Amino acid sequence: MPVHEEKTDRELLRSYHERGDLEARERLIEQYLPLVRSLARRYSYRGEQLEDLVQVGCIGLIKAIDRFDIARGVELTTYATPNIIGEIKRHFRDKGWSVRVPRGLQELNVRLSHLVEELTVQLERSPTIAELAKAASVEEEEVLEALESGQAYATLSLSAPGGGGDDGSDLDPLESLGELEHEYEVSEDRAVLAPGLRALDDRERRILHLRFFEGLTQSQIAQQVGISQMHVSRLIRRALEKIRDEIAAEETVKRRAS
Amino acid sequence: MTGAIKLKIPHQSPYHGVALLVVGGLAARLDVSYEQLEDLQLALESVLENGGYARTSEVTVELDVQNEGLAMIVGPLDGAALKSDLEDEGDDRLGLGRLLGTLVEDVSVESREDGDWLRLEKRVQAIRSGGSRARA
Repeated sequence: MPVHEEKTDRELLRSYHERGDLEARERLIEQYLPLVRSLARRYSYRGEQLEDLVQVGCIGLIKAIDRFDIARGVELTTYATPNIIGEIKRHFRDKGWSVRVPRGLQELNVRLSHLVEELTVQLERSPTIAELAKAASVEEEEVLEALESGQAYATLSLSAPGGGGDDGSDLDPLESLGELEHEYEVSEDRAVLAPGLRALDDRERRILHLRFFEGLTQSQIAQQVGISQMHVSRLIRRALEKIRDEIAAEETVKRRAS
Repeated sequence: MTGAIKLKIPHQSPYHGVALLVVGGLAARLDVSYEQLEDLQLALESVLENGGYARTSEVTVELDVQNEGLAMIVGPLDGAALKSDLEDEGDDRLGLGRLLGTLVEDVSVESREDGDWLRLEKRVQAIRSGGSRARA
């Protein structure tokens, strides 16, 4: 143990991967438990005991440690965070505890996505809620509820790369969470990006840049990127939550280190 | 229409959607556009969902309808964390300041007895000329 006290994460990973040092693996798991606990806490409000979620998150941590490629120039934290979150979300999906949006609202949300596009072109401006309600032949409150359900969907589908399409085919918010790990391969340059932005894929970074650095509106971005305005909205929300998750995880690690 | 709506909710993610829905309801009555509503909700969500700003277990959202816009006042919050994030801006940094600066016209921090409150003001114009039910 005293020997390990002085070892860095990379040394422990090398020791485990190259020499099969299980003690080094255990040490890494112990060191990253506070990160798992911090991430699990974010999902504990969904009716699951925190300790149960920590256990689930630990599976994601162990997978991350086992699959980590030490030849790559990224930190274990960067790789482990999406794996831990992915495992927790997959747990909710498997247990059937994902937020289920009523089918009627799902369908209205998809219809509204198309109507926003049509009315923006027709009116040459963004439509109001009343105009959307009239076009969809529903009450304004139903429009708001459907839009809000879409936001809940966006929040829950944060980890699904490319998820949140407009055709209604991927309305289950947690359906593609297992793809999380692939982000590691996709974004090899994440280590050199600013804090938070490392967690994003190229399209998310591009959309955030267009919105918050170039000042384009959602409809302008939609035209430029070739997706619907509501899809842009979902991607922005997804990206911003990823950034918040990433920063929260980094702060946990910093607190642990200090 | 002028006046304020106050909504006190647990400072937890599942309840934040309630505040967003109330903003939506108010925006519908002011006849603001879908894009403006998106901006308002995203700004509010960005503040509520950041656990680093939480000061107490409950948070209050005040919606103040003014002649030329809508103010959302959120608190009490951790003023030190809030101010730090609002000021921590660089050319390539997407911090709270840049985020809110894009979404609303004015951002300020108010000190009250129970802590600091964030005030977000957005100019919104009713699209129907003089026809807004809220202004009737």
